[in-house]
Amino acid sequence: MAFAILALVAGGFIALAAVGGERPALLSIGPYLWRVLAFSIVQAALSTLLSLALGVALALALARRRFPGRGAVLALLGTTMVMPTIVAVFAVFAVYGRSGWAADILSLLGWRGEFSIFGYPGILIAHVFLNGPYVARILLDSLSLVPAEHWRLASALGFSPAHIFRHLDWPVLRAELPGLTGLVFLLCFKSFAIVLALGGGPSRSTLEVAIYEALKIDLDFGRAAWLSLIQLAICLTLMGILNWALTRPPTPHTVRSQVQRHDARNRSLKLFDAIVLSAGALFIAPLALSLLSGLDNILEIADADLLRAFLTSMTIAVLAATIACLLALALATAARRRRVVLRSPRIAAFYDFLPNTLLAVPPFALTAGLFLILRRFADPSSAGLILLPLINGLAALPFAYRSLAPRLLTAEERYGRVAASLGITGVNKLAIMDWPLLKRPFAAAFALAMALSFGDFGIIALFGGQDLVTLPYLLYERLGSYRLDDASAIGLFIVLVAFLLAHVSGRLSHAGD
Amino acid sequence: MVRRLLLTLASLVLAANAAFAQGKPVLTVYTYGSFAGKYGPGKIVKERFEETCGCELNWVTAEDAGSLVGRLRLEGADTKADVVLGLDVNLAAEAKSLNAFAPHGLDMQDLSLPIAWNDDTFVPFDWGYYAFVYDSDKLPNPPKSLKELVENPNGPKVVLQDPRTSAPGLGLLLWMQKVYGDKAGDAWAQLKPRIVTFTKGWSEAYGLFLKGEADMVMSYTTSPAYHIVVEKKNNYKAAIFSEGHYLQVEIAGMTRTTKQPELAKTFMAFVLSKPFQSAMPEGNWMMPAKAPATDLPDAFQHLGQPQKALLFTPEEVQQNRRAFTDVWLNATAR
Repeated sequence: MAFAILALVAGGFIALAAVGGERPALLSIGPYLWRVLAFSIVQAALSTLLSLALGVALALALARRRFPGRGAVLALLGTTMVMPTIVAVFAVFAVYGRSGWAADILSLLGWRGEFSIFGYPGILIAHVFLNGPYVARILLDSLSLVPAEHWRLASALGFSPAHIFRHLDWPVLRAELPGLTGLVFLLCFKSFAIVLALGGGPSRSTLEVAIYEALKIDLDFGRAAWLSLIQLAICLTLMGILNWALTRPPTPHTVRSQVQRHDARNRSLKLFDAIVLSAGALFIAPLALSLLSGLDNILEIADADLLRAFLTSMTIAVLAATIACLLALALATAARRRRVVLRSPRIAAFYDFLPNTLLAVPPFALTAGLFLILRRFADPSSAGLILLPLINGLAALPFAYRSLAPRLLTAEERYGRVAASLGITGVNKLAIMDWPLLKRPFAAAFALAMALSFGDFGIIALFGGQDLVTLPYLLYERLGSYRLDDASAIGLFIVLVAFLLAHVSGRLSHAGD
Repeated sequence: MVRRLLLTLASLVLAANAAFAQGKPVLTVYTYGSFAGKYGPGKIVKERFEETCGCELNWVTAEDAGSLVGRLRLEGADTKADVVLGLDVNLAAEAKSLNAFAPHGLDMQDLSLPIAWNDDTFVPFDWGYYAFVYDSDKLPNPPKSLKELVENPNGPKVVLQDPRTSAPGLGLLLWMQKVYGDKAGDAWAQLKPRIVTFTKGWSEAYGLFLKGEADMVMSYTTSPAYHIVVEKKNNYKAAIFSEGHYLQVEIAGMTRTTKQPELAKTFMAFVLSKPFQSAMPEGNWMMPAKAPATDLPDAFQHLGQPQKALLFTPEEVQQNRRAFTDVWLNATAR
């Protein structure tokens, strides 16, 4: 399975490089590209650091507190990441722009200066807004999986908040953070429209821009393939270092049950959580609320086009989620077999590593390459139907893998020996032993993968069309006809659907087994 | 299960296409999304063409001009396109070098373009001048020339598009070259402090301008017509510069691989006929390529008119684009 994925990716690149015909100017990495690379790495590192800081603080605070509307807040945390980038860009401007809310408030307070968010501030705000809440969401889920017995023990031993953090929370964070770091870093490293719009100049640009230019303007596919390989190499190196330095195998979870954490009563923690939660709300809420400006036009966009686009998006999302979840299941099963049965943790670690590396592959280049292969066997006009779910599925794979792999390990720990002694293997093992524990995370991963695919514009730019208009595509089409209001209504609609999916996903992953 | 789902889906679409095709020949025209979208002229064009051709016109869309060429390149000889509508004249040489287009064989007289047109492959279907659009309520005294915009350190702030990813971005790059020649790098450096940002495409930039992030945006002289006709707002205007304005011409071409050259030719001729041309102004918010001035809607008759059109030939653009882009990069990327 792993090799099939690798072959797919490699095949795409070779096809792309081959059609380039003449040898591309091999590594014409000029000083400009070096600067772009350096900038990409720095901005991605900063974005990641801040996203993780926000995520960890929010997750800890939310784990300790119960309040009305907490469920909705959790679903909101899961929504921001799947927003179409242009929606996020406009949200940032609505709040922090020259005529944004922040500027209005400052001028009400009598401040007459001008401030500009272009450059690092804008990019970091957008990236932290997109990724920080997601980090919080994932960590919160993991924190709530600390076994109830541990909590009882901690309570009996009279653990202080510091002890609790060191012995209960930290091990969970320690296990989750490396993977999340890699994920967020890659997402920011490849970020494209956000960096261009908020960067304020071509010195703030990413390699993905150069790849896009080679594909769409220069029509130099060989160059696109080379640049993609450079990007891949850099990401793999960084991920490899991260992996080698930090990663621990996924920790098996146990049955979770609702525990009231006793450190919730600590006074200074109360203060800390109050500050974190209000700061988080102050950061996230205005950006989220600014989307509601689309409400004015929500009735006007309700037409046949919207319905069709919705159904198309849904179909693609379901297919993509199916691909993502089945691949994740297959990979996770293989990883478990290597780790537990065959005792070869290195190969297992490779399987754990693989899904994240897929994120390093530039989707435009991969799509173009796969299309060149596909065109020999299939009608080019239906290629989009195959490629869209496939590419979106691969993009959602790392997210699906995160929720499935630990559960499979749990199942093995609990029932592996019994199953082995009864001689249950293969599909039977999956159906009898794993499925009961797996079905909820599976459904949660499915909903998340759907949401991710739902907001994706990416490759549809190349392969959309009369039969293949998704909601993000419709949004751009309306923008192209000056209909900014329609576009923001469609943006709101996309975010609402994603919110519902995130809510379903959260409910499922939170429910007891 | 995945495969079965995919097959079902693919066959559904194919079946739908086949039903579509029954009896009548189908002309497949590639165009960009907003042309065939709800507010674009695509629907009217389709209706009017089908009235006379005895065929079905099938729009297939990609995001923008760049995507159209990219897609054509990827599909190669297998492409289903009979006609491609919506390429940018600045990228015409690249498109031509794909060797995918056939000569149109049409007479190119009596066009209403500000320049002479004698290309035998591409037919221009609409055009406009690139221009900086501003809100006259907020900016009562816009610059009168590109030089004034560039050289006045206290001038208005502008939002632009990246020339590597967008047609208007490339347009301004070429405009600066026309006006400043070898000094274009210095001019970019002079303008740089007042550039809010370079966005990926026209839509983001125009959106930022409407949201008040900049005083002026790189767009078209025809943009104000949209605000006048649809929103009944007269405060958006295009600044007319004394050096002349760079021209945007949108072009169409028929493919070499089309299975129905006659029908494709008929469509190419239809592109320059009144039923098609009259749909351009208020459908695509561009000037028609062949229409007497008296046929223009009111809002278009009163738009500011540049005195001079600036344009490089497609070959010049192809040869120099990389060099021009490097000049721009060096000047603006610190």
